[in-house]
Amino acid sequence: MSTLIVIDQPPYGAWAGREALDMAFSLAAFDQPVALLFTGAGVNWLRKSQETMGIEQKSVEKNLSAAPVFGVEAIYADATACALYGLVPDSMVAGVAIAESSAEVIRQHSHTAFAG
Amino acid sequence: MTATTAQNYTLVITGAPYSSQAPQTALLFAKAAVAAGHTVDRVFLYGDGVHLASSLSAPPSDETHWTDQWGNFLSDNDIPGVACIASALRRGLIDESEQKRYELPASNLREPFIIAGLGEWVEGTMASSRVLYFHAGD
Repeated sequence: MSTLIVIDQPPYGAWAGREALDMAFSLAAFDQPVALLFTGAGVNWLRKSQETMGIEQKSVEKNLSAAPVFGVEAIYADATACALYGLVPDSMVAGVAIAESSAEVIRQHSHTAFAG
Repeated sequence: MTATTAQNYTLVITGAPYSSQAPQTALLFAKAAVAAGHTVDRVFLYGDGVHLASSLSAPPSDETHWTDQWGNFLSDNDIPGVACIASALRRGLIDESEQKRYELPASNLREPFIIAGLGEWVEGTMASSRVLYFHAGD
């Protein structure tokens, strides 16, 4: 059984994405196979060098960087959403696989979950 | 798999009562599932869904009291109801031990709900044949 956690909400202005990340880390902590798919406004999670001092929130970039440490198997970004938000590999954090077809990524997992 | 195969469901509610229909939809599903001979392994409240477990909600008497409806259903059917501790603490949903730990002025967790970690959700995904999510939909 493998689970795909989908994050489709922006990193700031919504909390569900952070709770989705906790779900992924929790599965990994219990040695359950898990991967992350960022799509829609959620791809903004993957922007490099986020500066959040001005909004008094913790940067999600730091949270996300723990994903490989916890054992999250892969981080996918939907190609169409990346294009929409002007994200190219150079402007993204390391270790992200661009998915031309999110449907195909979803098909490769037995479970899919959103946090909200 | 035929339609008559009994399923064992874990239900995850992430939408709050009175701001979303998630708890109501989940309850109607749970009642229908149990009536049809299926079982509910556990109900996990996550994110804003934890507000469902507040013993301090007091809706007008001509509106459905979703916390009581859910609490009674869980007790009657001996189904565990678990609120995620991280979601709960952030949102002011507190049991007696957390009240003591954080020296807070009150606790408000309605029985039979308990507070526990995301590991309860992970266990549900492993123990159940189906995991269903009830979101706010916004």
